[in-house]
Amino acid sequence: MSDDYNFNTLSLHAGHWPDDEHGSRAVPIHQTTSYMFKDTRHAAALYNMEVGGHLYSRISNPTVAVLEQRLAALEGAVAATATSSGMAALTSALLTLCSQGDHIVASSQLYGANVNLLKYTLPRFGITTSFVSATDPDAFREAIQDNTKLIFGEVIGNPGLDIMDVDAVAEIAHQAGIPMMVDATFNTPWLLKPVEHGVDIIIHSLTKWLGGHGVAIGGAIIDGGRFDWGQNDKFPTISQPHYSMDGINFCEEFGPAAFTAKLRAEAMYNFGPCLAPMNAFHILQGIETLPLRMQRHMENTHALLSFLSEHEQVAWVRHPDLEDHPDHALAKKLLPRGSGSIITFGVKGGRDAGRAFIESVQLSSHLANVGDAKTLVIHPASTTHSHIDAEAMKAGGLSDDMIRLSVGLEDINDIKADFETGFRQAQKAVASLAAE
Amino acid sequence: MKLTVSGHSCHVATGGRPFNESADTVIFIHGSGQSHLSWVLQTRYCAYDGYNVIAPDLPGHGLSDGEPLASIEDMAGWVLELMDSLKIEQAHLVGHSQGGLVMLAAAAKAPQRFRKLAFIATALAIPVNDFLIDASVSKPEVAIKMMTGWGHGPKAHMHDNTQPGFSHLGFGRNLMARNADTALHADLVACNQYDGGAEAASALAHDALVILAGADKMTPVKAGLKLASALGSSSHVIIDGAGHMLPSESPDEVNHHLMAFLSA
Repeated sequence: MSDDYNFNTLSLHAGHWPDDEHGSRAVPIHQTTSYMFKDTRHAAALYNMEVGGHLYSRISNPTVAVLEQRLAALEGAVAATATSSGMAALTSALLTLCSQGDHIVASSQLYGANVNLLKYTLPRFGITTSFVSATDPDAFREAIQDNTKLIFGEVIGNPGLDIMDVDAVAEIAHQAGIPMMVDATFNTPWLLKPVEHGVDIIIHSLTKWLGGHGVAIGGAIIDGGRFDWGQNDKFPTISQPHYSMDGINFCEEFGPAAFTAKLRAEAMYNFGPCLAPMNAFHILQGIETLPLRMQRHMENTHALLSFLSEHEQVAWVRHPDLEDHPDHALAKKLLPRGSGSIITFGVKGGRDAGRAFIESVQLSSHLANVGDAKTLVIHPASTTHSHIDAEAMKAGGLSDDMIRLSVGLEDINDIKADFETGFRQAQKAVASLAAE
Repeated sequence: MKLTVSGHSCHVATGGRPFNESADTVIFIHGSGQSHLSWVLQTRYCAYDGYNVIAPDLPGHGLSDGEPLASIEDMAGWVLELMDSLKIEQAHLVGHSQGGLVMLAAAAKAPQRFRKLAFIATALAIPVNDFLIDASVSKPEVAIKMMTGWGHGPKAHMHDNTQPGFSHLGFGRNLMARNADTALHADLVACNQYDGGAEAASALAHDALVILAGADKMTPVKAGLKLASALGSSSHVIIDGAGHMLPSESPDEVNHHLMAFLSA
């Protein structure tokens, strides 16, 4: 094999080579906390990162490593680290780069928990964030300070569905000598590989499309490997001697994978956000069918966009693949296979009609998740984003009547029929209110 | 650590341990378009085992400044200058791929400066096809992709890795991209032009070990066995299934054979 394997093949195989002893074709579940050392020299070598391998499952695990290597392969990255959730991934990545007194520039169009972490939690530890519009690259440049350590955003904003000009913002970050980090959960590497657009660190919630089945929570931090951590003095814990391993200099010892080496040695050791091997196994089963599912997700999404756009009960529909979306041109360029399978729309009649719709659909599931194989609906203003204030709601492109739809893989005619039921009940609710 | 060799700043990895001139010194010479990073799982292991490890980035590679050197003989001379700068009278020498050619040239030039020689995935000569040499100038990213594609074996292509979460292909490509733009071309031309391997090997009387990769497409086993045969006092091992990037693909096996050889 001289050429790289293609995406479909990597989804099934990457990271795993059947062992000689048992030949297990499926990825084995290494349900163990720890690993036998061959001798004291071997133990020391593992602790000192002299050799690869596993010593304790908080740090690494063979099943989890297959998942990590599969993700690195799919993203075209240098390395990946799996975590117990997407939020664990984001927190671990930020705390690998930032210390007290540091600053972040972030998109204002973010998932609610991402906003809360940056706006309320991290400031308690001396790490502050300036929020700017995801669709205004110049605003990112203007918000950078001397103590700024990274730019953070979502490729496809949740749930506002704004598209970030990743190439432009990454260039701004690099001009300032700082890395670009994105949450790429909504696009998955099937729709966009951020590393190819200048992104240095990618955050995934594996719970969503990558897993796809809704049975396991997980996250990942992907290291693009292109950022030079030694180009300036902004990242001394990576480019200068670290407290661990006799003052290891991650930049000199691991070069393109310096960020991951430090993450593994510090965040996984000291914070312990490890992914359970059983969950890694479940997520690997999902990734095996990622290309097939994403193709079907996009087919159903485009069919539903037509259906909703033409439906008389729908007040508005928002999706970057629609021509009236403000980021449509950028979406076509950046995401030629489609801009993900989240649609937001408003039901005529406002908040009450929206509530009636959600409570009367039966095939579609009302819950707080996205990216499941099953179609999901939720009212963000009263659930996922209920803890953020009105100003942040507005900045994030949310409205009271917004329904967030995560398009599943069911037969498209069954989804449409289910929605017709919801629209009828919404119409009745509006009529009933009018009668009162 | 940093020092000056031939008027340019040079980076030398010491395996995460301080430079220790009282210990036996092992010098690791990297391959074409590579850097000290290709040895990370040998240098750290060797240094923590008590050796004084020296893994330089050749000029224009990794963290070293200066123009890439034009010939294998120039590289051999540079290694001897490096030893002088560090006041190392004698050392064991370990070389991968192009580094093996540099070893042959250096040991032939100053045999008394070296003790044991360990050749890893290399040969007496490494001819390079014109397409790759041309691509290293006109489309360096394509040349890097070709080299990492040919350079890795089946397991590495499937992203199987002893380092949890690491991708061989991703690491290899980003490692190469960090060198000076002209480094890969200079290395490939130097390899292609070097024809002194057979004469050098036949003149050497050092204890030598040749570690070969069973799935090596760049310096195939057949070529490696000719090297082993040409060396006066050598043994060889073949690691099945591994590709040319043997130090990173099969680090535990390489370390096992290397440490046994050095300590014998």
